[in-house]
Amino acid sequence: MKDKETNTGELLRDTLDMLVLKTLTRGAMHGYAIAEFIEEATDDVLRVEEGALYPALHRLELRGLVAAEWGLSENNRRAKYYRLTAGGRKQLGEESARWGRMTSAIARIMEA
Amino acid sequence: MSEWRTHTWLRLKALIHRREFDRDLEDEIAFHLAMRERKQQKLGLSADDARYAARRRFGNATLLKENTREMWTFAFVETLWQDACYAVRTLRKSPALLAVVVLSLALGIGANSTIFSVLNAVLYRPLPYPQPGRLMAIWETESGRQNSEEPPAIADGADWKKQSHVFEDIALTSSTESTPLAGDGRAEQARAQFVSPNFFHLMGASPMFGRVFTASEAQDLTQTVVISNSFWKRRFNGDPRVLGKTLKVSGVLSTVVGVMPPSFGSFYGDPLDLWCPIDAESTRYSERKDHWLMAIGRLKQDANQSQAQIEMVMIAHRLEQAYPATNRGVSAKVVPLHDALYGEAGRYLYPLLGAVVCVLLIACVNAANLLQARTETRRTEFAVRASLGAGRRRLMRQLLVESGLLGLAGGTLGIALTFAGIRLFRALARDFPNADSVTVDTRVLLFTLAVSFATAMLVGSAPAFQAARTDLNLALREGERRTTSGKGGRRTRHILAVSEIALAMVLLVGAGLMINSVLRLQRVNPGFDPANVMKFDLSLAEGAPYVERLPGGDIERATPLVTAFYRQLLDKVTAIPGVESAGTITPFGFGYTFSVLGKPAPPPDKMPRTVFREITPSLFRALRIPLKKGRYLSGSDLPGAPWAAVINETLARRYFPNEDPIGQRLLLRFIDMDQKQPRQIVGVVGDVKWYLPESEPDPVVYVSYLQQGSDYRGGSILAHLAQNLVVRSAAGLGNRAAGLTEAVKKAVTEVDPNQPVTGIMTMEQALVRSIGDSQFYARLLEIFALIALLLAAIGIYGSMSYFVTERTHEIGIRVALGAGRGSILGLVTGLGLRLSCMGVAIGVVLALGITRVIARFLFGVTATDPVTFGEVGLGLLGIALLACYVPGRRAARVDPMVALRHE
Repeated sequence: MKDKETNTGELLRDTLDMLVLKTLTRGAMHGYAIAEFIEEATDDVLRVEEGALYPALHRLELRGLVAAEWGLSENNRRAKYYRLTAGGRKQLGEESARWGRMTSAIARIMEA
Repeated sequence: MSEWRTHTWLRLKALIHRREFDRDLEDEIAFHLAMRERKQQKLGLSADDARYAARRRFGNATLLKENTREMWTFAFVETLWQDACYAVRTLRKSPALLAVVVLSLALGIGANSTIFSVLNAVLYRPLPYPQPGRLMAIWETESGRQNSEEPPAIADGADWKKQSHVFEDIALTSSTESTPLAGDGRAEQARAQFVSPNFFHLMGASPMFGRVFTASEAQDLTQTVVISNSFWKRRFNGDPRVLGKTLKVSGVLSTVVGVMPPSFGSFYGDPLDLWCPIDAESTRYSERKDHWLMAIGRLKQDANQSQAQIEMVMIAHRLEQAYPATNRGVSAKVVPLHDALYGEAGRYLYPLLGAVVCVLLIACVNAANLLQARTETRRTEFAVRASLGAGRRRLMRQLLVESGLLGLAGGTLGIALTFAGIRLFRALARDFPNADSVTVDTRVLLFTLAVSFATAMLVGSAPAFQAARTDLNLALREGERRTTSGKGGRRTRHILAVSEIALAMVLLVGAGLMINSVLRLQRVNPGFDPANVMKFDLSLAEGAPYVERLPGGDIERATPLVTAFYRQLLDKVTAIPGVESAGTITPFGFGYTFSVLGKPAPPPDKMPRTVFREITPSLFRALRIPLKKGRYLSGSDLPGAPWAAVINETLARRYFPNEDPIGQRLLLRFIDMDQKQPRQIVGVVGDVKWYLPESEPDPVVYVSYLQQGSDYRGGSILAHLAQNLVVRSAAGLGNRAAGLTEAVKKAVTEVDPNQPVTGIMTMEQALVRSIGDSQFYARLLEIFALIALLLAAIGIYGSMSYFVTERTHEIGIRVALGAGRGSILGLVTGLGLRLSCMGVAIGVVLALGITRVIARFLFGVTATDPVTFGEVGLGLLGIALLACYVPGRRAARVDPMVALRHE
């Protein structure tokens, strides 16, 4: 019972991680900007609870895939900016390759 | 790998900057919410609506914060820390319980660590020599007694060394011998080990400076000696120019050639001053009759004990054929040196370890019992926590953390008690081997830690399982009504109480048997009057000027100075004011055989045997040994007169059962040497026990020191040289002992300034010392048993108290319905008594099986002595009853109104 929960959780989590990493290829951003970007880019299709972004960001930071530092936002508030590390870039490469393989495989079945 | 490292590093940083981290997270989320809020406002929502929308869109911020924080921390350690903090908080709420539990665990753990540190020092530490596993002791076995372990004849040891291929080398060593020491004006009794010259090399020891012995260095008239580090510091103040200085060891001129390092002390764990060389090849030992040196062999690198055993038996067989007169049936036995030196100590110590394990078990049961009661009263708490989502594991862990803390506290206090325990052990044990090296080392600390941990798990597991089994519904509902707890819990508590009593019973029986033995020993009549008598040990040098060694053989000749010394000394001591009488007796009772003149001589191996003791005639009066027949020895029994002898009753009874011994003439013989003249029996005196545990007195012949030949063989001259001076004070000794001692010492110095005096004590002290082992054992067991008794009483008291608290309601109803105080008291004490009886019964069964291990220390009682068992059982029941009575009275005083309103 418990195991199954974590499995589905993991699937979503991995996707979110990938999206965050991809977003950060555009440069350093704070959490709100990342959320805004994902929502706008997907026309609000992928509108998850925004809060869920933060555990994801911290997890990526802990794994050394993103680095964080505090800076000033556009309206002069203290904000935490995240940027991609070399490790993160490499991870993103692997993830998107995997993602590509998977979607094309799924597509082949769905279109068959 | 590197990812894992960043991970840990970041986490550590977060752990250290805890507060900063929390604030940052707070800020980050606040920033997000503010941004979103502003955007919503721009879209036209009111301020309140905007805030609400932002929040809704964000989700459960608290939970997210929690999750994120958890990600950054070491969750397991943190919750453990939480559990520990909580445990400390809850435990602090019941300080009395806490104190009792920790103290009882500390007592149990401390007792175990103490005995373990003794075992560690004596048995577990390897011998302090290189490759100690290759060191073996080689014993001779007597004809027909395959299990005997005797020191070999010195010449046999020399032959073993020559013929063995399995041993690298074989050395010989004496035990630690006391020997008089003179030179540079100070006389003392030195402790010496006589060794073959190869001893040091075999043990892998080299001198700190100087040298050790070279082969065949020992001479009859001069010798070299190697001194111990402590002796070098004490006698020579650590003088580096000590080499070449001379001492007189037993009258032999001895030149110091080497000083050993401090690490090379005595072989047997007792203090040692010097080593004297023995030449095993000397013709002195060619008769193969001197069995006083132990043989030690170092196995070759690739050899083992069983190969050595096989080879030694073959060599012994060859010697048997070469020397049939002495070696018939004699074989050899190889045992590891460590066992030979300390195996005996193990037989003393393991029963003690058993006793302390018993104490610890009682302590654990006691703690479990107390905590158990606590777990039950806390069932509501657990139920609430469980319904709020605490998992079973979490609850169990909470309880185990609690008992772990208790174990840790008990262990820490236990270590402190161990230091005290070791001091106590040393004080009680006196000359136990290696007593000085008993310390708290790493191994003892690890042992204590392990014991504490095991204790904690043992104590905590029962309540933990119970908590995990908690039935929520039942517990919550019951919690409101607070009635009796589950049947299971009560049964567990009763079982615990019963086992406590049973274990205590075992220990008490052990202690009881030992105490009974000691009491019986103290009641033994020694056969003389020890009151107001002081004893001084004197031992004249076994060399110049008192002894001449006849070259080439095993015969020593006493000079007339020996008798002159004792005669002058007695005159001087008797003249000391306040001295009523004085006499001397040799402490060495050599075994002699004798024939009765005018009777057919039995074959040589059936000759009657007796102990032979040289005395001064005044001894009998000084000690008030009763005369049974004839007369005492007297001043008229001089060298020129016919030689006289006084025998003890045992000899009279055994060898002259139907005739008058007075007037019979005995010819005494030591080994194969007859005395110069026969001796006529002039009197019979009562039996004397110098050593109280001695059960059957041996036959004894007492003779005057003046009626002796001058030549002695095989070391029997010691009985002539060494005499214990006994001095009877006219009035009570009391505070005059010190003055008397000074006067006697002065008298000795006046006669021979080089003569040391040792072993100064009252005769009563000497007798107490002779039962020292039993007393030491009894003391220790007594202490352990008292702890056990105390713990068991606490256990019973705790159980019954809990029983009463739990049933206050029921008791209230009973009283309300007219039950008398007596019947309520009966209800409580009845239950307590039932449990106690059960415990005692089980304890008796256990004790019957176990006390056999201390049978060898008992005197006058058997290991299953019904009187001791009865006394101890009744005593224990009495104490248990008392422990029930207090809570019972509380129950009887229950006011029904209060009890019922208690709901």
